[in-house]
Amino acid sequence: MRIATAKETYAADEALFDTAVQRVWFAILLAALALFPFLADQYWLFLAGLAAINVISVTGLNILTGYTGLVSLGQAAFMGVGAYTVAVMEARLGTPVLLNLLGGGLVAAGVGMVFGLPSLRVKGLYLAIATIAASFILHFVFANWTSVTRGVSGINVPPAAFFGMALDTPFKLYWLIMPITVLLLLGAANLFRTRVGRAFIAVRDRDISAEVLGIPLLRTKLTSFALASFYAGVAGGLWAYFFRVVTPESFPLLLSIFLLAAIIVGGMGTILGGILGAVFMTLVPEFLKLLVGFVTPVWPDAAVHLSPVRTVVFGAMIVGFLIFEPQGLAEMWRRTRRFFHLWPFKT
Amino acid sequence: MLTMTRRGFGGLALGAGAAAALPFGGGAWAQGADIVLGGSIPMTGVFAFAGIGIHAGISDYVKIVNDAGGIKGRKLRFAFEDTAYKVDASVAVFNKLVAQEKPTLYYGDSTGFSKTINPELERNGGMIMAGASFASELNDPKKFPLQFMAGPDYTEMVGILLRYIAKEKPGAKVAFVHSDTEFGRDPIATSEKKAVEQGLKVVEKIVTPPGSVDISTEVLKLRRAAPDFTIFHGYVMAPIPEFIAQAKQMGMTSRFMGTFWSMDNSMVQKMGDLADGFMGVMPYRYYYDTEGNAPMLAKIRQMRPEYQSTAYMQGFLTAMLMTEAVKRTLESGQDLNGKTLKASLNSIKDFDTGGIIGVPISIPGNSIPVGRIYRADVQKKLMVPASDWIKLEA
Amino acid sequence: MEMDWLLLAEVSLAGLGTGGLYALTALAFVIIYKATRVVNLAIGEILMLGAYAFFGLAAGWALPWWVAALGALAVAGVFGAVVERTIIRPMLGESPISVFMVTVGLGSMLVGVVELIWTADPHRLPEFMPNTPILIGDAFLAPKIGYGFMVAAAVIAVFVLLFRFWRGGVALRATASDQAAAYSVGINVPGVFSLAWIVACMVAAGAGILVGSIGGISSTMGVFGLSVLVVVIVGGLDSVPGALVAGLLVGLVEALAGAYLGGEFKLLATFSLLVAVLMVHPYGLFGTREIERL
Repeated sequence: MRIATAKETYAADEALFDTAVQRVWFAILLAALALFPFLADQYWLFLAGLAAINVISVTGLNILTGYTGLVSLGQAAFMGVGAYTVAVMEARLGTPVLLNLLGGGLVAAGVGMVFGLPSLRVKGLYLAIATIAASFILHFVFANWTSVTRGVSGINVPPAAFFGMALDTPFKLYWLIMPITVLLLLGAANLFRTRVGRAFIAVRDRDISAEVLGIPLLRTKLTSFALASFYAGVAGGLWAYFFRVVTPESFPLLLSIFLLAAIIVGGMGTILGGILGAVFMTLVPEFLKLLVGFVTPVWPDAAVHLSPVRTVVFGAMIVGFLIFEPQGLAEMWRRTRRFFHLWPFKT
Repeated sequence: MLTMTRRGFGGLALGAGAAAALPFGGGAWAQGADIVLGGSIPMTGVFAFAGIGIHAGISDYVKIVNDAGGIKGRKLRFAFEDTAYKVDASVAVFNKLVAQEKPTLYYGDSTGFSKTINPELERNGGMIMAGASFASELNDPKKFPLQFMAGPDYTEMVGILLRYIAKEKPGAKVAFVHSDTEFGRDPIATSEKKAVEQGLKVVEKIVTPPGSVDISTEVLKLRRAAPDFTIFHGYVMAPIPEFIAQAKQMGMTSRFMGTFWSMDNSMVQKMGDLADGFMGVMPYRYYYDTEGNAPMLAKIRQMRPEYQSTAYMQGFLTAMLMTEAVKRTLESGQDLNGKTLKASLNSIKDFDTGGIIGVPISIPGNSIPVGRIYRADVQKKLMVPASDWIKLEA
Repeated sequence: MEMDWLLLAEVSLAGLGTGGLYALTALAFVIIYKATRVVNLAIGEILMLGAYAFFGLAAGWALPWWVAALGALAVAGVFGAVVERTIIRPMLGESPISVFMVTVGLGSMLVGVVELIWTADPHRLPEFMPNTPILIGDAFLAPKIGYGFMVAAAVIAVFVLLFRFWRGGVALRATASDQAAAYSVGINVPGVFSLAWIVACMVAAGAGILVGSIGGISSTMGVFGLSVLVVVIVGGLDSVPGALVAGLLVGLVEALAGAYLGGEFKLLATFSLLVAVLMVHPYGLFGTREIERL
């Protein structure tokens, strides 16, 4: 049973962590994240890195789709912009890592705003399909602007260097990726305590009403696109350091669909949802593989026959969550939490 | 947020459990332990047709090795996972297998993966790698010191075709039709120069978008270029059949040619009558080829009574060459690591592949620049040899 | 360089031919959107399902091609009914984003199922169209494209007539223009929803057979649906004439871009067209402008 959480000020009500218990849990979580690389092997470190990158990109998309109500199927392409920016800066200019990542984020934000322009005139599904155009137009640029992107063969990225140390293993990269992820997540969570973030939500709930209330639609929507693309750009930049080669085929439309699916599975319009969704969707294929591994002794060719099942499961998860748990994993988490808050009085 | 941590640690425990459960988990490099051939294999996705063949080929060769007592008494084990032909999935599989199985040999599924994993491969230093990619870029021992490919690279494949064309019809007009992918664009620029060197004229280069099915405008362009030979590259099947169909309907007389991945017999024969006269370069002999002395092909037919694809042969030969490299390294008393294995591999000279390749082979660098021109015989429903084995000088 | 008018004519014909197939698939898309307001991103995969069903019946069971074609349409119709009842109906009233993501999930499931049954190998459909070239004046038109276009045109004509005169077609149009009003005059609106899905899936399957007979079939042939998305956006999501005009337009633009700029420009051209239309005419060339009230 949770008691004594009465709020006396708006500020207190809006605080990210409203109880001491929450703060303790958060500290434990951070400590666990810091300890994780010392306990995990290369495989789990790889997955952790990949999941963290996905968390950043999904959170960005969540700002746009979950909070502002603008559906985008261009998030992967904006990741590509960030990845290419970082790759070019790292390989050609040799600028410092953090500057590169910032550059990746900013360039992606700029490109995102350009492709966000149709959002002024079109909404909903028209916009979703317009953002598919971003995917294809940017892919064309990546593949054909040979002098910068080196065409279809792509750019090989040197390892990120931090104070003279080459971050060339998942273990070392973890210390670059995880802090940035935590920072960006805190940034996103705080965003919705500000005027800008609240304007996003107002636009999502009813954009005409928001306009009547004095929220400039143009600026708000473009800001949302810019922020979402900034997150995508940083995620793409980290992706470039993580995979060390960036090609036009690295950021297909399918990745955009994956990111959107992650929001749905995790829960639209909550920061926790983005995190849960991204981590869950990154790990699902691995769990399925594990499952195939378990039946292999009995059925040696299981891998051959069971593999398309993964494609089916990916689709079924989107459909299933939308029909049975539209608020996603975040809602399941909240239900669990509520149970403990009210326990033992109401179960 | 807590769920994430729990999941992380839960997974960690699972991972550790899996590693401990394996008989030789931690010490695969110790004397007498299994030698692991790891694999990122595309069992699903657009490249599944190849992945399934590759998987069967490698598995069969591994079985042959183990039935014969392993390599110097050590068992060879094939540990693989599906990648759906996605680079990030391939890298995940690589990291998992490296962490849990400690492979000394590795099979990768794509050019993208081979390039992505290369820095990690060199850093690890414990293994050599080959794969499904014949990308020209990989055929550079300086940049990719621990990789190789069990055949000619794409530029060499087209080179073999051009060599054949120059001999059949000196000064012939050649057109390239390729897909707009890394795979498709790979050999084109270099091959254009090579064609000119051979005294051939390149009259048209046509790019098709990936996944496009309708190529009628491209055929119209091709007809105006009126080539004697048209070389397709970067496709498995579509849109080659429709290209040929429309070209023939328009009365074009061009011969049509393909490279390795569009040369599987079952794929070509799916074209039906259109396949008549379709040619291409193939580094391996086909499953049904009974000509001469080919004990390995006989063995394959005995293990698998039904037709096996060229991807099967590719996997089979890759496993064979890897095994040979391990054997030579162990025989010379050296440790098994990337450097020694690659050196042993490069020491392979005039090696008899048991008939998988029709001539003795050597691997001076990262590729085996050997191939033969085959032609589709529609009556027999088979690809039949149209030339001798052609060896490109290094 | 001298202009090759014959090439231009041939390229344009080929483009219009493909455009016919786009128009047909777009028709399937528009039927669903008009009746149920669902943007069906799985249209490409439903098209694939139709092609595979045809393949299974014609090549696997060795049925005559026309029996197989009817069978494939039946399979698609049943599929449409089941999907509408089990997946789409429960989503009524949810946000458009959710509904549209449901169809994305559906598409992924279809790809997986097709790969489970037929593997991911590419196949060719049995030949059933004549293969003597069609000559219009001096201009050559590939027979499959030509006949494909004719079939597409015939089907489209039948549908336009059905919409105009058949009870079901009228009910569908009524539901599209005002659901509540349609209800109150006694139209079985849920029935119309089912009907729209059944009919649209059958149309898509028919388009799949035509597309598959031209380029062969594979589990990735659903990408055809992407060009169709461009078509419906350019034409207007809820406009049948829009789908037809935009289908031909997109086919033409693709062909011209492919012939004069190069194959890599095809998708760029169509998607640039899409962005341009959206900026000028946000609801497409013929789409209904939605008026919002508070």
